[in-house]
Amino acid sequence: MLFFSFFKTLVDHEVTIELKNDLSIRGTLKSVDQFLNIKLDDIQVVDEVKYPHLSAVKNVFIRGSVVRYVHLPANAVDTALLEDATRREAAAQANKAK
Amino acid sequence: MADTENGTSTVAEPLDLVRLSLDEVVFVKLRGDRELRGRLHAYDSHCNLVLGEVEETIYVVGDDEDDDDTIRTVKKNSEMLFVRGDSVVIIATTT
Amino acid sequence: MDVPVLPEQLPPQVFTTGAQLLDLTDKKLVIVLRDGRKLIGTLRSYDQYANLVLQDTVERLYSQDLYADVPRGCYIVRGENVLLLGEIDLDKEDDLPLKQATVDEIYDAQRLESANKKQKEKKKARKLHGLGFEAENELVL
Repeated sequence: MLFFSFFKTLVDHEVTIELKNDLSIRGTLKSVDQFLNIKLDDIQVVDEVKYPHLSAVKNVFIRGSVVRYVHLPANAVDTALLEDATRREAAAQANKAK
Repeated sequence: MADTENGTSTVAEPLDLVRLSLDEVVFVKLRGDRELRGRLHAYDSHCNLVLGEVEETIYVVGDDEDDDDTIRTVKKNSEMLFVRGDSVVIIATTT
Repeated sequence: MDVPVLPEQLPPQVFTTGAQLLDLTDKKLVIVLRDGRKLIGTLRSYDQYANLVLQDTVERLYSQDLYADVPRGCYIVRGENVLLLGEIDLDKEDDLPLKQATVDEIYDAQRLESANKKQKEKKKARKLHGLGFEAENELVL
């Protein structure tokens, strides 16, 4: 749930999603769900000439399982808060396992 | 194990080692001929990660023009990167 | 005359798969599958796994600056094979930077391309395997 919550804080920010097939799509993060499927608005394909099938597409739904990276704006991420949340999630997981 | 309650001290499972690397620079090896080096800000049990000030190294064979077999590396940088856990092979601390 | 009572507005964001796909229902979409196929059709139904039902589907084949359409009809797509869904901007869909060709022309061009690519991929995998690298799960585009 940590990353689901994390991505919810990034809604309306510009991100670049790199897929496992090397396609990179830049756009505004509009929505995310528990599988980390992501919706982007006003998209731009980074290497558009190579991928003409998205030239008339304005928004996309990307299945979480095909994502390799999401490039994020560093100023939108509170790293100290994120590290705390990670520790809390790890502790919660450890307690659940007992 | 009372001291796991606060989640800071003991190493009971592999991911606890990763926890100790939070806010440290880590080396991450990925599927698809890639390696990353960056500061670890978050992880979960799927090995999803968030890294800051990342340098990515991609290993590429040959060139399109001259068809040789040499291995080149391509470097890329990213200020903040989410990495999907299913690509992660190794997370290692750096010295 | 009675003014119809509008249903109460949903919260601006509902963070579920269903809510994300609801916006795309009855829209003309391009669906990219894991094996690289591109389908164009209208999304009529879906579930939480992103299993999809598409109506009036055509499969669009690409090769460099050429494309061709193959009518396919109604499709049920299993969610795990979906790479992405894109909503087509109907104002822009006709100014493609591509020329329409026949299906056979595309098949011929694709055969050439893929033979070349396969050979290169093989060489690369062999070389990098020696360095302890492992290929990603295969995704084509």
